[in-house]
Amino acid sequence: MIPTTACLFLSAMLFFLGMLGFLLRKNALVVFMSVELMLNAANLAFIAFARMHGGVIGTTGHVSAFFVIAVAAAEAGVGLAIIIALFRTRRTLDVDEVRALKH
Amino acid sequence: MSAFSNLVLSPMLLPAMPASTVVLPSFSFHEFQPLLPAALLAITAMLLMLTEAFSVSKSRSYQAILAVVASAVAGFLAFQNTQLPAGLILNGRGVMDGFSSWITLIACLAAGMSSLLALGFFRQRNAERGEFYGLLLFSAAGMSLLSVSNEFVTLFVNLELMSLATYALAAFWRRGNRSVEAGFKYFILGAFASAILIYGVALLYGATGTTQLDMLYHVLPKALEDSPWLVWSGIILVLTGLSFKIAAVPLHMWTPDVYEGAPTPVTALMSAGIKAAAFVALLRVILHIGDSSAMLLHILCFLAALTMVVGNLLAIAQRNVKRMLAYSSIAHAGYILIGVAALFAGGHLGNKVGVLSATQMANSTAEMLRSSALQGILFYLLSYAITVVGAFGVLAAIERREDDGAPNAWDLSKLSGLATRRPGWALAMALFMFSLGGIPSTIGFLAKLYLFKAGMSAGLIGLSILGVLASAAGMYYYLRVIVYMYMRPPTVTETGIRHWSTEFILAVSAVAVIVLGILPGPLLDWLSQASLFSPN
Repeated sequence: MIPTTACLFLSAMLFFLGMLGFLLRKNALVVFMSVELMLNAANLAFIAFARMHGGVIGTTGHVSAFFVIAVAAAEAGVGLAIIIALFRTRRTLDVDEVRALKH
Repeated sequence: MSAFSNLVLSPMLLPAMPASTVVLPSFSFHEFQPLLPAALLAITAMLLMLTEAFSVSKSRSYQAILAVVASAVAGFLAFQNTQLPAGLILNGRGVMDGFSSWITLIACLAAGMSSLLALGFFRQRNAERGEFYGLLLFSAAGMSLLSVSNEFVTLFVNLELMSLATYALAAFWRRGNRSVEAGFKYFILGAFASAILIYGVALLYGATGTTQLDMLYHVLPKALEDSPWLVWSGIILVLTGLSFKIAAVPLHMWTPDVYEGAPTPVTALMSAGIKAAAFVALLRVILHIGDSSAMLLHILCFLAALTMVVGNLLAIAQRNVKRMLAYSSIAHAGYILIGVAALFAGGHLGNKVGVLSATQMANSTAEMLRSSALQGILFYLLSYAITVVGAFGVLAAIERREDDGAPNAWDLSKLSGLATRRPGWALAMALFMFSLGGIPSTIGFLAKLYLFKAGMSAGLIGLSILGVLASAAGMYYYLRVIVYMYMRPPTVTETGIRHWSTEFILAVSAVAVIVLGILPGPLLDWLSQASLFSPN
């Protein structure tokens, strides 16, 4: 049995990797993937804690993870559509090029 | 407490209960009453989406009218709910109180008014497409549901319902450079913020074993002793995620870009509705997790001060009116944060006094502080919604189609001489600017007065004085708009196209700004009866 701390450590690593990816990467798709990584880190934390608590309290964590998955899917739907529209208007996905609104 | 509160499992009972004995919850009809406005909005939204799929008609005006009617009926239902007693509904997943009903009313108001603005706005640009009104109503339904959420995952899902619809609305001109960019920035930063929020929720769940706010309130002090690191990281992550949505400094960077790039009716919806709904979420979370530490009050006050000062300073430097209004909305978020801090300080004061002397008097003082702060916040949100929709309405009216892609589309010079070209619009804009700046006899002045008064009586004297000074500094950029409209010769000859729906919104908002600014009595009476669910 994997100890809860190990799961939580992995989840924290994923979260920070996602955060770093969000802040450092330049491609809009990779930035979006980093956000998904953070959501999955939250899922992992939910599941790890759910197993730690067990019983009725544990159910909350399991169900929460499902909701987060559903929301992440909806987010991907809207987000990818916006990213496609972005690519169509400027033929690049570099986030540094997205700066028509700065002055 | 109402009859169904015994359905709610107390946190002490939870661990002892084996999974096999979970009783299926039973709901009574009146528990669904606070959800009716949201249900109506969501059903109408689905209907609008379906009409878009099946109808062959070119004109989309009927969709706007349907959206306005649905918002009006939902707003009426919400208004009837404002007198509801405070209590938990749906097994503790939601709350029923006057506060959430008022926020629902503001959301319906914002949705209805921006639908009307959009009707004329998109008609002139031949950009009418049916998803717009459906998405707009989905967003309003999300706002309404967000205001009744009492559980973190429910709150998260409703926050996303509201936000996802708005991301799509911001990028609605999918061929327009600026609109898509606004949608993209809003989406990517919003998704980042909600990921932070949900990670914080996961940590709080790990530390306390619950995601329900009222239970969290009871078990948090013990969890704070057991695992302070986990709880504090959870609280900070959750508050970070929510501060992004209200655009508190230092998480405000998205606001000017998104407000500027989004189609103007969408900007009106965002500044009036989303802001109000996000504030309720923040307020509920703070009320439930805040009592465990006085440090949170300091954080809140610091955030309020920073938001007011930075928002106003950045607005002063702006020549672009739409961006200026975006920065001013940041400053207004700072003022409302004073109210949130006052509400929170009132409760805190009450707890402390209750421990020391436990007199009835002290408790009633704390109660009074709370209710005056609550009244202040609600009045402010309502007044800001009315005023800012009107202000963006004027911008939508004077906006020219060929300016859509231009970088100086909303430069101050576009407003010069508006008083000679369109005296009615100029007068309305002047009223909105007076109200946003807080000139007496407008609704904005009273809103600031009540908010700062609540801050003063809760003991936040320094913060309230800073608020007054900041709003005095803010007068500069509001008055500059009026100077351009009335004292500069017109530089453009084009007057902007009139449409009955835009003019209707301008007239209604302008009249409301003045009438409620002079006779706020009945509204204040209603607002003072609004209840707020509190866990203790």
